[in-house]
Amino acid sequence: MAIGNPDILGDRQSGQDVRTQNVMACQAVGNIVKTSLGPVGLDKMLVDDIGDVTITNDGATILKMLEVEHPAAKVLVELAELQDREVGDGTTSVVIIAAELLKRANDLVRNKIHPTSIISGYRLAMREACKYIEEKLAVKVEKLGKDSLVNCAKTSMSSKLISGDSDFFANLVVEAVQACKMTNARGEIKYPIKGINILKAHGKSAKDSYLLKGYALNTGRAAQGMPMRVAPARIACLDFNLQKTKMQMGVQVLVSDPRELEKIRQREADMTKERIEKLLKAGANVVLTTKGIDDMALKYFVEAGAIAVRRVRKEDLRHVAKATGATAVSTFADMEGDETFDSSFLGHADEVVEERIADDDVVMIKGTKNSSAVSLILRGANDYMLDEMDRALHDALCIVKRTLESNTVVAGGGAVEAALSVYLEYLATTLGSREQLAIAEFAESLLIIPKVLSVNAAKDATELVAKLRAYHHTAQTKADKKHLSSMGLDLVKGSVRNNLEAGVIEPAMSKVKILQFATEAAITILRIDDMIKLVKDESQDGQD
Amino acid sequence: MAAIQSSPYSKTESYVDNKRKDDIRMANINAARSVADAVRTSLGPKGMDKMISTASGEVIITNDGATILNKMEVLQPAAKFLVELSKSQDIVAGDGTTTVVVIAGALLKQCQTLLSAGVHPTVISEALHKVSLKSIDVLTAMSVPVELSDRESLIKSASTSLNSKVVSQYSSLLAPLAVDAVLNVVDPVKPDLVDLRDVKIVKKLGGTVDDTELVKGLVFDKKVSHASGRLTRVENAKIGVIQFQISPPKTDIEQSIVVSDYTQMDRILKEERNYILGMIKKIKATGCNVLLIQKSILRDAVTELSLHYLAKAKILVVKDVERDEIEFITKTLNCLPIANIEHFRAEKLGFADLVEEVSLGERKIVKITGIKEMGRTTTVLVRGSNQLVLDEAERSLHDALCVVRCLVNKKFLIAGGGAPEIELSRQLGAWAKVLQGMEGYCVKSFAEALEVIPYTLAENAGLNPILIVTELRNRHAQGEINAGINVRKGQITNILEENVVQPLLVSTSAISLATECVRMILKIDDIVTVR
Repeated sequence: MAIGNPDILGDRQSGQDVRTQNVMACQAVGNIVKTSLGPVGLDKMLVDDIGDVTITNDGATILKMLEVEHPAAKVLVELAELQDREVGDGTTSVVIIAAELLKRANDLVRNKIHPTSIISGYRLAMREACKYIEEKLAVKVEKLGKDSLVNCAKTSMSSKLISGDSDFFANLVVEAVQACKMTNARGEIKYPIKGINILKAHGKSAKDSYLLKGYALNTGRAAQGMPMRVAPARIACLDFNLQKTKMQMGVQVLVSDPRELEKIRQREADMTKERIEKLLKAGANVVLTTKGIDDMALKYFVEAGAIAVRRVRKEDLRHVAKATGATAVSTFADMEGDETFDSSFLGHADEVVEERIADDDVVMIKGTKNSSAVSLILRGANDYMLDEMDRALHDALCIVKRTLESNTVVAGGGAVEAALSVYLEYLATTLGSREQLAIAEFAESLLIIPKVLSVNAAKDATELVAKLRAYHHTAQTKADKKHLSSMGLDLVKGSVRNNLEAGVIEPAMSKVKILQFATEAAITILRIDDMIKLVKDESQDGQD
Repeated sequence: MAAIQSSPYSKTESYVDNKRKDDIRMANINAARSVADAVRTSLGPKGMDKMISTASGEVIITNDGATILNKMEVLQPAAKFLVELSKSQDIVAGDGTTTVVVIAGALLKQCQTLLSAGVHPTVISEALHKVSLKSIDVLTAMSVPVELSDRESLIKSASTSLNSKVVSQYSSLLAPLAVDAVLNVVDPVKPDLVDLRDVKIVKKLGGTVDDTELVKGLVFDKKVSHASGRLTRVENAKIGVIQFQISPPKTDIEQSIVVSDYTQMDRILKEERNYILGMIKKIKATGCNVLLIQKSILRDAVTELSLHYLAKAKILVVKDVERDEIEFITKTLNCLPIANIEHFRAEKLGFADLVEEVSLGERKIVKITGIKEMGRTTTVLVRGSNQLVLDEAERSLHDALCVVRCLVNKKFLIAGGGAPEIELSRQLGAWAKVLQGMEGYCVKSFAEALEVIPYTLAENAGLNPILIVTELRNRHAQGEINAGINVRKGQITNILEENVVQPLLVSTSAISLATECVRMILKIDDIVTVR
């Protein structure tokens, strides 16, 4: 009697079938994002089940919205998310490389090479490649001057919707990142780009976007009677209600005398009034709270000539508190059990103004005391465009931050991939073991990036890649031609040029991570030779 | 298949057909063998992984026999035995969960041949029992004693276990880590007992497996709770572990406080503040500056108000500590849990040099290091680039920890790489000739069955299995009892010299568990389904 599959609640597949199937699924995912790679990549329009439209070119966003079901393909989607989290850019590249690595590995398996040999070959190639980037290809930022930051941002944005105005936006981004520079307790310099507030406003063209020194809160003043401008501002950040005090659960108010009722009501209102008086007495003239403020309570602020803003987002409040040196207060209680508000909790800023941006009222906090806060106001024709601009700027911000933190850059436009490919091919021929073939395939896989780049630009991929490889070969073999190692593609003209000089650069760390993550993912999928898919719970209950 | 044949008309049947007994036994064996077959490809350092997508849509990628079988949801009752078998191997030894199933499968196959040759099941069962006893003798004779001070050998066996996992490339990092973790928790008073509960594994997404570290202290996968004034770092910490809540007491459902006067409203609010303040002053008076608060279902462990006060008192707070972690924490910190504010006294506090919130990528953890008079516990912080790798890293680390634990329990090592199995097979074959009657015949076939391990190892590594097993047999016949398959080089070498070693306990328990399970399956001659 032949041994069949064990009886399980679901399907089981094993062997080559599974591997091919997994590779196919990953291939499909790779193909989806392929056309959006590079400066001349095209965008995707995604319509979800409620009819919301997203137009994007960002690999991670596309894959996130796809709702991929195949488990192996999910690994790739997670891969893009991971790259997005760790680096912020290069999400498309990482998926394409992983898919290509898998495709080539599957061909090798078909040619009777054991997956384990391929895995160890890939791993070796990845390690060598990362070493090569760090030792040979990476260039210190100082060497290139301050322009390099702008160039990095430009390269990142070149593939996005706003590439036309990349000069303009790159400067904006670099300025924004440098403005939020801060040094933490251990003396490390950090660039918390989360602190950069991006506001989207309809109308005008993208070019009318601008950088605002100061923190913009996307809400208006709580009442019209308040002044439009307060300077110098003393800011109180509150994290509680300024509404009529309510008794907590379990406390019942029982009155027998109607006059008592009135008194209780009065008392409820007075408690809030007392709090507000404490605030004002401490010197606050701007009050921000994450919760609500009663209309009744607003009156006191109006009378005192202070600005009060309600329903501020908690994150905004935190950032404002950080920038102005204020302490976000969740209760007035002090160590004696009474309620007080100390003026040391107040934050300081040069001025707080309500401004009008497009149709919205925005409260701007300018000239903050501790660290400078910046806001990017984006303008654009419609929502889709604004969203895409937001994503593009996010990528660019991340890239600039990484460049500043890691301090090394490499040439873009397929230069690194071509150089690595040439180097790894050479490395493969020096090895006599079984891994040789796998490393050669790894080298070959990397060429997918320049290939796709040129295909997307409607250029002759074969010719361009051949030229590119020739340059890199010379760079690596002849000592006096080292500078050729930064040759990359010029996709507009369809020629090969020195991308380092042309200002097409990316942080070295981004490339290293792309290689590491793509290889990890490919290996994870390659190692699978069995897939068990269990049936959803509702179909069968109780087997006997 | 078996289930399909028997179940449709077996429910109310009263007619008894004797032929079914044989069928049932065969069907059971077949079902069990098919399970064994399913995990076969994941045996050994070059074994492949399985991807399991569970009913809830979760995806697991693993190579651990016990995990695969556990998640597979096998239906056939006899096949479930094998799932249980791998679980019990996991409990006893923690490693070799695939091996035990593969051995059971091979033994069952031999049983099938024996049964069809007309041997009675009880005879086979008896023979199996003898085989198992004899095997343990043989294995024990082969083993090499090891000292706990011999860190090298321990690391070797831990890396053997790790080599077959997804995280194998990190075995040079994880193996010493596992050894140190276990050795740390060995109590000199009871050197044979290791409670793996004293090793806490904390998983944290982000980074790579390379960033996995052994922490001498405590790690919480949580943020510091704070209202304002972010206190994230405390040096010379005095740590209190409390099991009560710092929040206003709730009235019982049926009761309520009645307010009839407006002045009372102020008093209620003020009372609340004073109540909490009183608690915090008591805490502060003991010098405590870090509080770990147990999770509470009934009440909020802390409120905004109490957090605010705690921040003012410069006390760092970690809330929502799981109840089952309390024991581990108090053991580590060498302090006592405090169940009531009245019992909050300085002598119940634990001391540490540093309590700090560390950000890892985008998320944060709280680390307590430099604990004074630290208990015998260890924490391992596992990192991984995605959830799948992270989970697998944890499972692999668990196996490695178990391997070291086995060595602490039974301080003997044995060669790996199929060497013990082939030696067993040889010695049992020789022993079979001495035995009389049917038993000798049975023992002989079981001896052959054990060759399945080296055979599968070779097959998974892409080698020619027949060639390898024959040569291996030859080498052992010449007296090289430690010759085994070197998967990396693809040839046969002295496996002890190659540092491929495993604890004796893993091998012996695999054999005894597998034989017991097979005996049980053999003795079943009917399935009655009761609804």
